[in-house]
Amino acid sequence: MNWLNSRLITIFLTIALLMSLVIFLGSYANNYMLPGNHQGYEPVQPISYSHRLHAGELGIACLHCHTAAEQGKHAGIPSTNVCMNCHKFVSAPWVDVKAENDLADKEKRKPKLVVSPEIGKIYTAMALTNEAKPDSTKSLNPIVWKKVHNLPDFVYFNHSVHVSSGVDCQKCHGAVETMERVRQVSDLSMGWCVNCHRDANTNGVDGKAVHASTDCSACHY
Amino acid sequence: MSNNYDNILLERSPDEAPPQRGVNRRDFLKIAGFSFGGALVAGCKPGKVEKAIPFLVKPEEVTPGVSTWYATTCGGCSAGCGVSAKNRDGRPIKLEGITNHPISKGGLCSVGQAHLLSLYDSQRLIRPSKDGQDITWDEVDRTIIEKLDSIKNNGGAIRFLTGTVTSPTVKSLIKKFTENYPTTKHVQYDGLSCSSILDAHEKTHGARLLPHYRFDQAEVIVSFDADFLGTWISPVEFTSAYQAGRTLDEKQPVCSYHVQFESRVSLTGSNADKRVRLSPDEIRKAIQQTASLIAAKAGATSVSSALSGETDSFIKQLAEKLWDARGKSLVVSGGNDVQSQTQINYINHLLGNYGTTVDIEQPSNQKQGNDNELQTLLDEMKNGQVAALFIQGVNPVYDLPIGSQFGEWMKKLQLSVNFTNQSDETESYSQIVCPEPQALESWNDAEPVAGTFTMTQPVIKPFGQTRTVAESISAWMGEKKSSLELIKQEWEKSVYTRLPERNGGQGLQSSTSGFQLFWDSAVYDGFVKLDIPVTKRDFIVGRDAVPTGRVGDSTYNLLLYPKAAMLDGRHAHNPWLQELPDPVTKIVWDNYASVSSATANELGISEGDVVRVEASGTNIELPAHIQPGQHDSVIAIALGYGRKGTDRFTKIGPQWFEAEPTVEEGGLVGKNVAPFIKFENGTFAYDVQSVNISNTGKKHTLACTQEHHSLHVPKYLDPGHGERRPIIQETTFAAFVKNPKAGSFEEHELTTMWTTEDHKYTGHHWGMAIDLNKCTGCSACVVSCQAENNIPLVGKDEVFRNREMTWIRIDRYYDESPNGDITVQHQPMMCQHCGNAPCETVCPVLATVHSDEGLNQQVYNRCVGTRYCSNNCPYKVRRFNWFDYEHGDEMHKLALNPDITIRERGIMEKCSLCVQRIQEVKIQAKKEGRTIRDGEIQPACAQSCPAKAIVFGDMNDTKSELVKQMNNPRHYGVLEEIGVRPSVGYMTLVHNREEGEWAHV
Repeated sequence: MNWLNSRLITIFLTIALLMSLVIFLGSYANNYMLPGNHQGYEPVQPISYSHRLHAGELGIACLHCHTAAEQGKHAGIPSTNVCMNCHKFVSAPWVDVKAENDLADKEKRKPKLVVSPEIGKIYTAMALTNEAKPDSTKSLNPIVWKKVHNLPDFVYFNHSVHVSSGVDCQKCHGAVETMERVRQVSDLSMGWCVNCHRDANTNGVDGKAVHASTDCSACHY
Repeated sequence: MSNNYDNILLERSPDEAPPQRGVNRRDFLKIAGFSFGGALVAGCKPGKVEKAIPFLVKPEEVTPGVSTWYATTCGGCSAGCGVSAKNRDGRPIKLEGITNHPISKGGLCSVGQAHLLSLYDSQRLIRPSKDGQDITWDEVDRTIIEKLDSIKNNGGAIRFLTGTVTSPTVKSLIKKFTENYPTTKHVQYDGLSCSSILDAHEKTHGARLLPHYRFDQAEVIVSFDADFLGTWISPVEFTSAYQAGRTLDEKQPVCSYHVQFESRVSLTGSNADKRVRLSPDEIRKAIQQTASLIAAKAGATSVSSALSGETDSFIKQLAEKLWDARGKSLVVSGGNDVQSQTQINYINHLLGNYGTTVDIEQPSNQKQGNDNELQTLLDEMKNGQVAALFIQGVNPVYDLPIGSQFGEWMKKLQLSVNFTNQSDETESYSQIVCPEPQALESWNDAEPVAGTFTMTQPVIKPFGQTRTVAESISAWMGEKKSSLELIKQEWEKSVYTRLPERNGGQGLQSSTSGFQLFWDSAVYDGFVKLDIPVTKRDFIVGRDAVPTGRVGDSTYNLLLYPKAAMLDGRHAHNPWLQELPDPVTKIVWDNYASVSSATANELGISEGDVVRVEASGTNIELPAHIQPGQHDSVIAIALGYGRKGTDRFTKIGPQWFEAEPTVEEGGLVGKNVAPFIKFENGTFAYDVQSVNISNTGKKHTLACTQEHHSLHVPKYLDPGHGERRPIIQETTFAAFVKNPKAGSFEEHELTTMWTTEDHKYTGHHWGMAIDLNKCTGCSACVVSCQAENNIPLVGKDEVFRNREMTWIRIDRYYDESPNGDITVQHQPMMCQHCGNAPCETVCPVLATVHSDEGLNQQVYNRCVGTRYCSNNCPYKVRRFNWFDYEHGDEMHKLALNPDITIRERGIMEKCSLCVQRIQEVKIQAKKEGRTIRDGEIQPACAQSCPAKAIVFGDMNDTKSELVKQMNNPRHYGVLEEIGVRPSVGYMTLVHNREEGEWAHV
């Protein structure tokens, strides 16, 4: 008996495949990509932190917060105490503070402390009161960010050597200073890496001659 | 297997039509289409969301992805080697030797390397318990203090039973404890006892001490069964010192003369210039005879010889050599027998070695066990005279011959407290268990050699609620102090005050901040070396008082010995050590009864036959291993096996349908032979006379790696011969002095189809040189590589199938002479990174290619697993992932190196020359805008080597140590004649022996 020759089963399987294709493609149509390519990935983060505001409008240098990029492999997400360096004092956008001040003036009372919901999340994480004082009733609660730029586990990329060689952050990460929410701009594929390395070997980086290895073991070990 | 295949072929006659199969071509295409469609759909969905959780408040010195290093001390044994722990994201992932450490001089042994894995042992005890129930520390303290006070009031005896305590803090706390509870006595013993050496010195020098042996100062080394390169007292220190006395510098070559008298084949014996096979009893006679010959030279009357023939005349020659090297010779004995050790002291005294090679002015503390005191304690226990017993660092129920009785006696105690953190044999008999943290989790200190203080600092937040011995004792004396406070207090009192600068009056030390500075630098360095005031001790007994050794020989003698990785069994729960091939037998996951080839023939035993060994009412059944070069009357069995808890390894390795368990369900790894140990004349004797051995007819497979990955042409390719290739260049020291190229193979004119223009290495060109003369075969590099490169454990069955995964192996070769003597060579073998690599030309997918820096790269992601490369590799160093190997238990995954990819099933892997370390240093140099310094890159194997036998460097850097080695006339490439241009070279093995003194096959 040869069950696969049964026409009924063949038809059934064809329909099943078509249906599953519709279901899968339908649900992932928005981010249909090649395997491993997350170009354009723009996840919603637990705090709607704006790089446009901080890096663009306020002009804070990337390395001011992402200090690890100079030291090691990972640029890293700044630890929350780095945020607190400024947000100890800045608890809300100036417009909101001003509005409260104006209202208080009008109502002839002392202005209340304004804490924006997003900045408030930092205080919650650090177990602080709205006045940025330790709150013993709260517990520490690290912020769980979504990683935007992911390399496969068999790739070893080192930020520090690229930073020290003078490669701009924007070269790989795009104009983050214009992004309200961070998006993966480059496709981070091996071809893209190698092309840049080849280009650097011919044209140098930032006017300096460099040696950018194109050996497999430069990144894979 | 092949027979079955033939049967299948024969089942169908050639003219029969092929049977109708279930799937035809069209069906196949349909299924393929479905699968492809399914795979496409599945492959295109975005990956899972990766999370990133930054610190809330980042500690200053921690940067994610950047390693920090902390100096500490190895807790693997009591030798006290310095360890630098590589810490990533709050967990130690690799241990390495501290380069300038006064004990270990930068090396670390296999046990030290593997000690890391013991930290991540998920079955470790991490909270206190009473009668098997978890309790809090407060309850522990209350119970113990209450009981101690009542015992004190009744005048009951309190005993501390510990291993060698090298910590000055713990010692002073036990002393204080003794003041509080005056009936306390501290008894120390070692699982591998050296008690007789200390006892002998008490007799001959009036102080019970262990000398600090200086192998580097010795020109003639005579060892009577002391395995000082493998397991005896402080192997790393001794290996480093031994090799310091054997430097074949071209201008001033020096090579000590090392004679080993032994009955089994030890690692030390395998390296000796002259190895003399004697039975344990003949060894004692040889000591006695050497003593009388030396005494005769020194003026005493000669004593008639107890030995005959060749050995006798050899010992006479040896005595001449020793006498000529007075003050520059060293005689040691590994036998635990006071008479022999007294004679050894006498020999060393007459040779004037005290003060040069035998240091008793700054003696060693590495072994302090006292077998006599232990025996007294055992008698007290037997008679019920002990009220409370505190056990630390030892496992008496396991390693004492009367272990099970000891357990029964413990039940009768009013109070028994065990500080162990392993669920071991003794723990189950203890009322209260106060687990101490693992060495990498806690503060501790040690004084392994008088005047050398080492520091142990925690490199990880402790798992669970453990408490150090010091903390526990201080809590029971009513002052709850942390280990750190206690050690600081002790050091301020007894170490800091003895600083020489302090006496010199440099002013710094006078204030509290002075101590803080001293402390900080001690913690940073991991050690402090003081010049302590010297106590002169003289030889106090006359010639007549030196006793003659015990005699008595039998047909078969049992010799119990420690194995390099397993020692007294304390590391039996460490799978890295269980799967490390024994340096000599190359057997993993078992202990066995070794018999010589002649004895095996006589008894009709073949490898793996289970034999029954009986002696003085005890018997054991173990598989036999045929060991060439062993004395015919000796049956040697390793201690340290059959430990409780090794049943956890039943499921280690891939569990596929043909898999055999590493140990039977509920069984243990190997068998415990401690019941054979005898207490005799004040010490524990490890050799037993009048032994019966018989074949049981059963079989037990031993997994031995020696025949795997052979460099010789296999017999099936060269029928009849099995071509032996020249692999190890060997010569004698005399020949080497005359001609540095002595022993070299015939030079070959190499023809190649590649022009040298094809591969120009304009930048770096990495290479390695391995000095066979320095390598002792200790296998530290094997474990170091395993730890660094995330090499999985495969279990006994897979090892048996040739599938061990270690990237570096130590090949061991025997040359056996007709009379049964052997000479041994060790050769580390790993990927040779050939210039014309045969593996590269056969890879169909370019998964193994050459780098611009001369590395033979293995690209895991390209590999499709054809295994052509491995077949074409002349050195047989490539390893195939037959399975997705588990990395031990869940906790073991914490020890993984995040800088190395975990290889998946179906791909090939091999030594990368630690390319991750090359990259790390290259990046560091680039960031600092400098070139790479010579010696800055150290692959894991080279770093760990106690003998510094492995040199890594840049072949393009003409000033590098590597180029110096390559220009050395001793340098050669293994299988150079096949023209693969290996980047890893070897240096001729030079023995200080007469030409023709070994049998070449």
